[in-house]
Amino acid sequence: MPANKKKHDAFARLADWLENGAQPLDEEIGESLADEAYEEENAAEKTIPSVEVKKQTPKKKKRQERHRRKRRDALTVGAYADAWWYRVTAFIVCVSLVGLLLYGVVRMPLFGNADTLADSEVASFYVTHTLEETGAVNIVTGIILDYRGFDTLGESHVLFVAVSSVLLLLSIRGEKDEQERLLESDREQRTEPDHDLVLQGGARLLLPLVLIFGIYIILNGHLSPGGGFSGGAVLGAGLILYQNAFGYDRIGKFFTYRTFRAVSVSALLFYALAKGYHFLTGANHIPGGIPEGTAGAILSGGLLLPLNIAVGCVVTCTMYALYTMFRRGAF
Amino acid sequence: MAETLRLALFAMLMAGGLIFEISAVFGANRFRFSLNRMHPAGMGDTLGLLLMALAMIVYTGFDWIALKILAAVAVYWITSPVCTHLVGKLVRETEEEQLKTEAKEWKS
Repeated sequence: MPANKKKHDAFARLADWLENGAQPLDEEIGESLADEAYEEENAAEKTIPSVEVKKQTPKKKKRQERHRRKRRDALTVGAYADAWWYRVTAFIVCVSLVGLLLYGVVRMPLFGNADTLADSEVASFYVTHTLEETGAVNIVTGIILDYRGFDTLGESHVLFVAVSSVLLLLSIRGEKDEQERLLESDREQRTEPDHDLVLQGGARLLLPLVLIFGIYIILNGHLSPGGGFSGGAVLGAGLILYQNAFGYDRIGKFFTYRTFRAVSVSALLFYALAKGYHFLTGANHIPGGIPEGTAGAILSGGLLLPLNIAVGCVVTCTMYALYTMFRRGAF
Repeated sequence: MAETLRLALFAMLMAGGLIFEISAVFGANRFRFSLNRMHPAGMGDTLGLLLMALAMIVYTGFDWIALKILAAVAVYWITSPVCTHLVGKLVRETEEEQLKTEAKEWKS
């Protein structure tokens, strides 16, 4: 009988013990206690009279603890978590990252130092020039959609990439068999609030207000606090409320995976093209042909309103897509 | 005189709202079972919030912002009972064992 199998076979070990006495088995048990074969140890304790296994509860608890930790590490952070080189590498990586961060922080200008560009010029430039240059009464929108337009484009793409990775990881492909589907529908019926009368009443009262408020935040973004991100979050929450109250059938009539794909991709494309055109003409001092309008009117600020709408569409779709992907893995 | 009365009213309303909110915080953390915890949470969301909003309105005077505050209270008064209802329904569906033991404790 090979040694490995013998180690895991309580009867073989019992036979061995009967033949050879306690001494070799003692060593073997010591070994098995040292490694993670905790279950085998338990089996040994049951089958073998407690001559050699001293029952010391604190020690046993410690072993149990270590065994559990090892198992958990192997399950969560990977089987290498206990190896010495893994720990050394992790330590080196962490320390060097912290060092890099500290190095960067030390080289930053002092807080409140009047000589640095960020404190002396940029802030006052934004405050004095934003209204005149971008036509936005709300300076924050003027900054994030005009001066830092590409930054906002990147943020919208981050949302899109997040949804794409969730789609890759969680989307359910292929047919489920009958039992799985039954189980799932049973679980949904019991735990999910579909067709709940109280929720439907509340949603009927609130949904129009929520949706109108979200649209108002998006459209009024260049005039008052708000804009695409916050308004999109409100609209997405409204969509989630609608789904919860009226179920997937109702929301599937106007918002499906195709809608999501079309709306978010075209909004992102429009944003990129419009912003690229704006920067291209602005940098070369060519008149862009986009009317600025009178500041304070709803149709003013040049590109800010369409860009806000595009960002709002992307954020709405992202919110709802993340929710539904995490809830049931499909639209 | 009127100013003093207004401030006194504001202080009373604010103190009442704070009492409700603080007891809601303690209750929501003190009880163990979810249905018991829902009761103080709902209390803070309704009466505590209303009293504090009224206090703010008394303090600033009645204008558009006061209407917005009242609208926020109205939204809370619609959503909080709905949330409470849903959580209670979920507890009833999923924690039958716990509910039974709680009921036994209450009877004895």
